[in-house]
Amino acid sequence: MAVTTYKVTGPTPFQGHKPGETFDADLDENAERRAIARGSIKKTPKKKEDDSDA
Amino acid sequence: MPKRIALKDSVEVDSVDLSDFARSVRFTSEHDQVDVSGFNPTGSNEFLAGQTTQSVTVEFFGSYGTGEVHATLYPIHKDREVVPLAWRPDQTTPASATNPELRGNVQLLQYGPGGTRGEVDTFEATFITADAAGLVFETTPLP
Repeated sequence: MAVTTYKVTGPTPFQGHKPGETFDADLDENAERRAIARGSIKKTPKKKEDDSDA
Repeated sequence: MPKRIALKDSVEVDSVDLSDFARSVRFTSEHDQVDVSGFNPTGSNEFLAGQTTQSVTVEFFGSYGTGEVHATLYPIHKDREVVPLAWRPDQTTPASATNPELRGNVQLLQYGPGGTRGEVDTFEATFITADAAGLVFETTPLP
């Protein structure tokens, strides 16, 4: 499963996420293409993981 | 759920929440009435339920901003895309037995926005089912 981080960029919620929010999802290729083209979401760099598990 | 005034409906097309851009929703599910009548003493007709046709008609406000109605619907129509659609009576609570959510994959075969001088820009879009699963009322939220 290829989880990608997205930010909701449009004025309307996307998959229950409000504008401005980021979320992780494994979107269908076509769904991702349409959503990015219409300006609903954009890919964002993944947040840096907290790897201080010592 | 008691009687209600439709105010808080949720309408999502291709995962975009277009609730604020919609003001009416109508789901239709119809089985063909197939005549299987034979000769009989009363002359009554006999029918069986045949093929099922389902659709959802939404009245949208015309809006042309990024990620709004036109930007969502027109590519779906132009490119003959199959997309998910969801409608439930109350957007403030998740899908449940008392707030069932209609879900299914649909196509938009006709797209016809327009405008009349001095009037609110609205138009209807009818989504028809695009696969054998059809449109089904679900009572649990999506994961």
